Amino acid sequence: MNRLANPFAPRRALPEKTRQIKAWVCELCNLDDAVVVSVTELACRDEDCPDIETVIGIMRPGEKIEIIRVHKEVAEVTREDVIGAGGNSN
Amino acid sequence: MDKTPVFVLTGFLGAGKSTLLNRVLADPAFGDTAVIINEFGDVALDHDLVRVGETKIARTTTGCLCCTVGSDIRSTLHELHVLASAGEIAFGRVIVETTGLADPAPLVNQLIPGGAQALGLRDNLVARNFELTGVVTLVDIVTGELSIENHFEATKQIAFADRIVLAKTDLARDPASVRDIDSLKVRLAGLNPAALIDDGHQEGFDPAMLFQRRVYAPSSLGDDVVGWLALEEAVRGDSGHGSEPNREPTASSFARHGARIRTFALTRTDPIAREAFGKFLSLLATSAGPRLLRVKGLVQDQDEPDRPRIIHVVQHAVFPPTILNAWPSEDRRTRLVFITDGIDPEPVRQLFEAALNGKPGKAGRALGKLGAKSQKPSGRARANWHAP
Repeated sequence: MNRLANPFAPRRALPEKTRQIKAWVCELCNLDDAVVVSVTELACRDEDCPDIETVIGIMRPGEKIEIIRVHKEVAEVTREDVIGAGGNSN
Repeated sequence: MDKTPVFVLTGFLGAGKSTLLNRVLADPAFGDTAVIINEFGDVALDHDLVRVGETKIARTTTGCLCCTVGSDIRSTLHELHVLASAGEIAFGRVIVETTGLADPAPLVNQLIPGGAQALGLRDNLVARNFELTGVVTLVDIVTGELSIENHFEATKQIAFADRIVLAKTDLARDPASVRDIDSLKVRLAGLNPAALIDDGHQEGFDPAMLFQRRVYAPSSLGDDVVGWLALEEAVRGDSGHGSEPNREPTASSFARHGARIRTFALTRTDPIAREAFGKFLSLLATSAGPRLLRVKGLVQDQDEPDRPRIIHVVQHAVFPPTILNAWPSEDRRTRLVFITDGIDPEPVRQLFEAALNGKPGKAGRALGKLGAKSQKPSGRARANWHAP
């Protein structure tokens, strides 16, 4: 534990959750190692939506990037959310 | 003709970017440096906190560069190029200091070949005359780990760097804290195996070396960086769900930070009593904690009104003020800029007024609105404010 940091501060564990989301996408879309999956968090651009959305890019070589949007923060995304957003394309 | 090198200086809120920039600009060899300072929100203060000498050129942009539709950084570089072509200014290097909340992906895309599409003659001129030659990221050893855990931008800032500098390592004096720094280095290497990591307080560390021309190649930084750059461009061209397919993008379309992240300012014309201001800062830092992402400002102290105090608060940590010998501009008002995560401006303003006017009852009610669990001021915060 970092003794210089505030031990009581809440942690969203973003790096670990990002790895988890990538693993779900690879599993659900049956992706091989040549495919890059990118995850980021953006302010949602649509009205009546939650403040922040998770944007997932699936980059298959030679193909247009497939974008999956989950209208939750990265920390709150579940495997079911990824399925519901279209992350089971194969 | 060589293109003018452009360096991006980034790092999460409070990491010490302005401090490092001041160190670099104090070097006479950097007299030919143009500085672009980007600030979050519409309240500019950093231009007063970075001491730019007469031979340097500074441009301040407000509104987060990473959120701005179009090419704000290209506009600013174009403006510098036009002035240089007219013989009005001369510079051999540009340093862009980003806001601490900046996502580097859109900024880097604007500055690399093959990145964001050029939107006309202006962007083509910028591409022909400037090149991105380095991304320097500062990581605060006190708040760095929490920032990585809680803010996506912090991870991206580290991943895009070709040089990482550990800041505030002078605070780590005992062996356990030194071990924590080693752990942080391992973590940083996991996020970015390619970047060189320097200790900003190590003997012999020369900040000028961070801004020497080199080749900046995002592709050498790994799949995450390449993926974020590609995703950035794809998202820019994507109309989003629930919208008309051919909808024109608007300025708000590319906002990176949700409404939870807010920036606001407090100003006061009259000089401020030191003890009352110390009480305000300590109450705020204790009650808001990590939701108080950053407070920075200039304070006109009642006892020394001609010597402004620069204050820095990063999450729960209130740092000792820096005392200047003179005001950096004619504006001698106390100006405080807050960047917060889920804190409304009104209770902060109420706490500020109540603390300065000696109204403990009102201060207590304001703390209640802030969601304070404890109203006991932290000894560290109080002690630090009073330190010379």
